[in-house]
Amino acid sequence: MYKPTQYFKAGMLALALTVLFVIAWECYWRSNGFAISYNDDESLWAYARKQIYQSSPARPVIIGSSRIKFDLDLATWKSISGEEPIQLSLEGTNPRPLLADLARDTSFKGTVMIGVTEMLFFQPDHNHFEIQANKRIEKYPHWSLSEQESFRINRVLESNLVFLQENTFSANSLLKRLPIESRPGVFVFPNFPLKFAYTQLNRQTYLTDALVADTAIQAGVKDVWKKLAFNPIPATKGDTLTALIQSVKADIDKIKARGGDVVFIREPSGGPFREIEKSTYPRELYWDRLLKETETIGIHFEDYPETSNYTCPEWSHLAPADAKTYTQSLISIMEQKTGWKIKK
Amino acid sequence: MVFNSYTFIAFFVILLGLHYLPLPWKFKKINLLWASYLFYALWNPPFILLLWLSTVVDFYAAKLISEEENPIKRKLLLMVSLVLNLGMLSYFKYGGFLLENFNLLMSSIGVSYQAAQPDIILPIGISFYTFVTLSYTLDIYRKKFPPEKSFLDFALFVTYFPHLVAGPIVRPENLLPQFKSPVQATKEQFMWGLFLLSLGLFMKVGIADGMVAETADFIFGLPCPVNPLDAWSAVLAFSAQIFCDFAGYSTCAIGVSLCLGITLPENFRFPYASIGFSDFWRRWHITLSTWLRDYLYIPLGGNRKGVSRTYVNLMITMLLGGLWHGASWNFVIWGGLHGIFLCLERLYKTHRKNQVTLEEASENTWSNFGLVLLTFIAINITWVFFRAHDFGKAMLMILSMFGVIPGAPKFVSTLDIYKIAFVTIGILAFHWFMRNSSLVQLAQKLKWWQMGLAWAFMLIVVILTQKSSGSFIYFQF
Repeated sequence: MYKPTQYFKAGMLALALTVLFVIAWECYWRSNGFAISYNDDESLWAYARKQIYQSSPARPVIIGSSRIKFDLDLATWKSISGEEPIQLSLEGTNPRPLLADLARDTSFKGTVMIGVTEMLFFQPDHNHFEIQANKRIEKYPHWSLSEQESFRINRVLESNLVFLQENTFSANSLLKRLPIESRPGVFVFPNFPLKFAYTQLNRQTYLTDALVADTAIQAGVKDVWKKLAFNPIPATKGDTLTALIQSVKADIDKIKARGGDVVFIREPSGGPFREIEKSTYPRELYWDRLLKETETIGIHFEDYPETSNYTCPEWSHLAPADAKTYTQSLISIMEQKTGWKIKK
Repeated sequence: MVFNSYTFIAFFVILLGLHYLPLPWKFKKINLLWASYLFYALWNPPFILLLWLSTVVDFYAAKLISEEENPIKRKLLLMVSLVLNLGMLSYFKYGGFLLENFNLLMSSIGVSYQAAQPDIILPIGISFYTFVTLSYTLDIYRKKFPPEKSFLDFALFVTYFPHLVAGPIVRPENLLPQFKSPVQATKEQFMWGLFLLSLGLFMKVGIADGMVAETADFIFGLPCPVNPLDAWSAVLAFSAQIFCDFAGYSTCAIGVSLCLGITLPENFRFPYASIGFSDFWRRWHITLSTWLRDYLYIPLGGNRKGVSRTYVNLMITMLLGGLWHGASWNFVIWGGLHGIFLCLERLYKTHRKNQVTLEEASENTWSNFGLVLLTFIAINITWVFFRAHDFGKAMLMILSMFGVIPGAPKFVSTLDIYKIAFVTIGILAFHWFMRNSSLVQLAQKLKWWQMGLAWAFMLIVVILTQKSSGSFIYFQF
């Protein structure tokens, strides 16, 4: 005969096993050298997006892809300007939808820094490099009070538990690392090494110390670039490119008309990656044309001795230590080129 | 607020603490009511007003109906309630759809007038609480029971948070009597409630969001045809997703409510082990199918007005049932397909000489398993219309599934195919073995440590999946 107390005993066993599992799982990842990293999800982005109305040259809104997210050191910027920039960039994403979102928001009158990675920035409208940006833009107005509270609680948990990193340690992410060959003809997004990068609460992302020190991890990331970037989609040209630049100009004009300002930034890249970028997106046809037709100032890392000599460990992003000095140099160059008052 | 969120965990712990304090029952009911409003308001506070409006109008309309002897005045009062409830539902849910079709109609007859598309936000759960309040007023009109005297009990019946946004669609006789005297969960009920909450979260977070949603969303979002294996993978993935998402919500709701000592009706009974469509609707979204039966099919005449009227009534019920799910022709087609399958099944059973008895149908024989698979495949075909954004995409998927478009590209990885196969076979097998049983019976067969292991497995999968606040699909209905 079944006794009611059985449920209680079962529940207690389940609780004990779950707690034991969580402790063991957390200890396992910590013992393997992993540190706290925040999920860079819709809520974290929305949390940053809420702050754009306090933007100024000393506290710009940053949009772009991964390079400006890794290379612009927010702590260094804050130590120089007294204020922390608002980081809205998204890895692997074309930032034009983010620019359009800022242009549409009539309450936004601030300063925007746009990171340009040509392979992403010059993709035509409605391609899959916009998915992450559009997801966040659509979610932001519907970020409910309940989700905001969950975000607050989640922040406390993520500040203390290493294994709470969906893109790295979730069941799905780990399953994707199983050595299962996919059927021919199906593109499967390659996996970055587990110790590629980590993200802070202000959305600052850094390469890990392990990656900077270990050439094997660097090679793992380079393999990903080889699969993704070394067979690039043909560059956008002709009328599509003209329309694309015109739409960027229209968005920038809207922001400028409200008293805001915009600057383009081209962060360092290196090795074979840079060579492919040069051949696929020649500077004069893309970067120079973008600046000219949008009538906007741009800072290209190759134009300044203080920013042109960095080495990216995995060809695409700066090491954290270099991000600090790069940011210091960038602020000086920006003040000089734009006339903005950034330093305290 | 959704069950799979940290906010809900905090909310529920505080609520349980208050509910089990030695306080008067009335205080606890007020507490539950405020908690329910908070649960709803944390999504979009202004829509609380609609909930209040519906509650107040139906409480007083029902009261006046019960006091009124004049049949015309009774009908008029009923009309007030129907117009308000169905009017709100029509405006918020079908306003855009009606205008869109009006515009299409105008342009098809050469009129260039285009009505502006309204920017209407759909209040979450409006279809559910509208049906809850309607059933109350209709039952009072039919003199099924006297009107509720306590406004507090009535407001709590309408607003009680576990069922508020996505069902189960409760009836007055399910819930109102439970508010009359103090209730507290027994230790057994409380633990079973927690088990059901864990199971519901496992279904939603671990399976629907964690294992299958990505493939279904990706393939159904593509504008191009796909390889047959990819198309079937996406449809099977959606089939598992919609079940685990919706049944997961209902299981959470029933579990949460049971922890408070209040029983909600069963909403799913292993539907993918159905033999035929009438069996499916006895197992899928049971509270909706019984609602449609009692307040639409039977009032239309049911099967009492001749053979052809029975089929017409069935079709009307299923078409409107489809439309209830969303303002799109695809939902109407989905309902229509279910209606056609139900009619065919009825026709077959009527003309078959050797009727299968319920006992025979409930046996786990190989022939019955074949019928289960056949039903499952037919249900999957109907899901295409339910999931696709428009008719064109649905047809593209159907053509892709049956390999009509040669050379269509492949998108789904081998790993994802394995995951979908694992989940589909798992769900089918579980439903098949459980089709004549229940979770309570299964739990009673298990030893306590076996149940504990299964429970721990579900919790660990939820934690490992790390998807904390994905919305439930049925919220949009």
